[in-house]
Amino acid sequence: MTSLVPHLVNGITLGLLFALIALGFTLIVGVMEVINLAHGSLFTLGAYLALSTIGAGWFAETAFGAWWLSLPLTGRFFLALALGPVIAGVFGMLLELCLRPTYGKAPLYGLLLTFGAALVIEEAIRLLWGTGEQNMPVPQMISGAFLMGGLIFSTYKFYAAGFAIVAVLLVWLFLERTPYGAIIKAGAHDSEMVRALGYDLSRLRLLVFGFGSALAGIAGMVMAPIWGLRPHLGIDVVIPAFLIIVIGGVGSFWGAVIAAILVGLATGITGAYAPAWSLMSMYLLLIAVVGFRARGLMGRRSALEN
Amino acid sequence: MALFRAEGIQKRFGARVVLENITLSIEAGSVHGIMGPNGAGKTTCFHVLTGHHAPDAGRITFDGRDITGLKPHVIARLGVSRSFQMMNLFDDAVVIENVMLALPAFRAISGRPFRTSFGDSRLIEAALEVLDQVGLAERAWHNAKSLSYGDRRALEIAVALAAEPRILFLDEPTAGLGAKATQNLAQLIRRLRQRYTICLIEHDMRFLFELADRISVIHWGQVIAEGAPEALKANKWVARSALGEVA
Amino acid sequence: MITLSDIPPRGGAGFAGPMALFVLVLATLPLWIAPIGLYEYLGIEIAIWILFAMGFNLLFGYTGLHSFGHGAYLGIGAYAFGLFQQQVMVSLWGGLFCAITAALLAGAIVGAFLSHRRGIYYALLTIAFGQVFWFCAMKLHGITGGEDGLLGIPRPDLIIGAWRVDLNDNTNFYWFVAAIAALAVLALWRIVNAPFGRVLQAIRQNETRARFVGYDVWRWKWLAFTLSAGFAGLAGGLFAMAQQSAYPDVMSLHQSGLIVMMVLIGGGLVNFWGPVLGVVLYYIARDILGGLTEAWLLWYGLLFVIMVMVRPEGVAGLFHSLKQRLPRQASVTKPEQA
Repeated sequence: MTSLVPHLVNGITLGLLFALIALGFTLIVGVMEVINLAHGSLFTLGAYLALSTIGAGWFAETAFGAWWLSLPLTGRFFLALALGPVIAGVFGMLLELCLRPTYGKAPLYGLLLTFGAALVIEEAIRLLWGTGEQNMPVPQMISGAFLMGGLIFSTYKFYAAGFAIVAVLLVWLFLERTPYGAIIKAGAHDSEMVRALGYDLSRLRLLVFGFGSALAGIAGMVMAPIWGLRPHLGIDVVIPAFLIIVIGGVGSFWGAVIAAILVGLATGITGAYAPAWSLMSMYLLLIAVVGFRARGLMGRRSALEN
Repeated sequence: MALFRAEGIQKRFGARVVLENITLSIEAGSVHGIMGPNGAGKTTCFHVLTGHHAPDAGRITFDGRDITGLKPHVIARLGVSRSFQMMNLFDDAVVIENVMLALPAFRAISGRPFRTSFGDSRLIEAALEVLDQVGLAERAWHNAKSLSYGDRRALEIAVALAAEPRILFLDEPTAGLGAKATQNLAQLIRRLRQRYTICLIEHDMRFLFELADRISVIHWGQVIAEGAPEALKANKWVARSALGEVA
Repeated sequence: MITLSDIPPRGGAGFAGPMALFVLVLATLPLWIAPIGLYEYLGIEIAIWILFAMGFNLLFGYTGLHSFGHGAYLGIGAYAFGLFQQQVMVSLWGGLFCAITAALLAGAIVGAFLSHRRGIYYALLTIAFGQVFWFCAMKLHGITGGEDGLLGIPRPDLIIGAWRVDLNDNTNFYWFVAAIAALAVLALWRIVNAPFGRVLQAIRQNETRARFVGYDVWRWKWLAFTLSAGFAGLAGGLFAMAQQSAYPDVMSLHQSGLIVMMVLIGGGLVNFWGPVLGVVLYYIARDILGGLTEAWLLWYGLLFVIMVMVRPEGVAGLFHSLKQRLPRQASVTKPEQA
């Protein structure tokens, strides 16, 4: 029998990565009370953009492309880490502009619109990058694998998990310790207050949406070497993200982080005993939690319930 | 014996105690008023009495039957009906449908998907009769959404009446009404009291003192005074703490 | 005499006219579909999807419960039909009965979990349950055949008394499906306009008030979900016959989302006939746009996004507002007393 420890480690790592995926999602839900079903597609978009940055994309055949590819992979990799998310953020802002007519209506419309947007982005990716699965290269210094307790772990995954911890802490610090964070949090609870303080609510929304989408893009970039790239990756990503939000409770930052780690653990442990069913465990976790606690682990009342 | 009794009702939301200890007793055929400053817990009190929230402690009885913690629809079917302070109507429907939905006779046939009542005019007549009581019969075929504010308030009461209650809880029926409409409403309540027992939350003290047989004053989640309107007017402390505008 | 039928149904649309048109189009479809460059099988698919979409709209548009996992019940119906043919016996009615029952059962169980919830939480839970069923279909190789699904599902003959019809012929099968779709639409019309359907609509408009006038809202929401799952199951059984197979793809979130899009684009939120319009538009888009460009789904998605932004009442809603612009003698006024 294999020891449980490596599976626990695996589960926690996965949980941290899920937390990274859910980070932008939870921000947008918390501030704007919009379930952004296009989150996964923005994630995928960020990943593809990063891939093209690393591989010179459509310029690969040109002289520029040849020069570009002669640069060290590490440099291109970290440039991609910056560029992919920025463009994903711009697309996020565009999406926010489209969402404006749905504010003040039933939350269903936001859900529907972002679902449509997800479809559009996914199809666009299919057109631009093809339907096949692609792999993202990783600089040598953070690639490779090692053995622990009879399981093979990829080194990159640990770097990614470490990155996730840093990202979660940075976003938390941003929300808790900066004036911008205070305004964003006020926007979540009290849009009147934000207006009274003299801030432009629609600009706040635009920025929050852009920021959340950029976070999706970063997550996509970081996760791409682990999961590979395919156009329909979006759905595989947005579902864990929303499960995590619902389990953790809408509007709760740490609720989402805890839920992400729970989901990771459930997936990892199920993976130890019934690998084929490991992805199913998160749904069962959701049904178990929400069956008993309507607002998830740490949720508060939200307009989404109406 | 009292028709409706609440004893020692307590309600907390998290750490916040909204209702500390509410004891009320409503006599059959009377108009019972509830008043108190904003945030005193009046509406929460209604929510608990009509089953929207279960109380954390205490006992509610209606007609000798313990209804503590029963679901709202069960309490409604026993003959406890209520209106809402914030309007709660079926906005996409026409006025008469709002009322019809609440008729017990309609409810009785609604459970069978293929049971149509095309041709059943008794329901329409019953609904029109209810609308007539609140003076909305003329507008029966208008969209609920298109009614004026005052008419919507009247419809709010009509829906509560249509459920054929034995006791009627009205949550601030005068909220937002002008002087004329308030007078009409007072007249309506005088007519209704011949058929129903009424419990009424009100901000408008003149209105309440004119209509109520007994009044409970709620403050800090407790009944701080109770009695006939004249007796309460004489109570200096009540006047100062709760009735600013009347004293 | 004034009767309930004088209370205008939603959308103010009459029934006899549109229904006659609907039946006429269904009945004559085999005559003109080939000449206009389409094919008969498309008719079968459209009729099945109309059945699915109309049953779905009972939940979505009428009761206001937003399920994003309804493909699951179509899939369950399809698998149930296939398994019945392959494991029990080859029988048309047996299979369809089994498809409906399985979907009703699944709907009843899931509905029991869902019916306490409202708003987005309801929608999210339907997604989760939909994914659970989809996942089961993918992973239970022994029963469902995994990703490939159940293959070689027979189309049993239709036997009524001494009359035997070979449904392997697509024209015959089309008639069969069209007849069932028409009957289902008739049944749904009756349901939504009976007091039953009025209560469902009341719950959509104001759940709290419905509760306080004595309706057990939980039970009604549960009933609506179960019923509409049953319709999906019937559609699924027919779909298994049409495809002669059952596979997990129809249960995916993607498919469940498509049905929502069809219903919304057609105008299911405001009109009984909205889903029909939506389904037809979708298939026209798929076959005509799809013939022109690979990226038809991109354009369809964009159309949908724009629709949600500017006109969430859908195409049927567009007709309504056009009609309102035309001068009309009287809007909804009290009907004449006889």
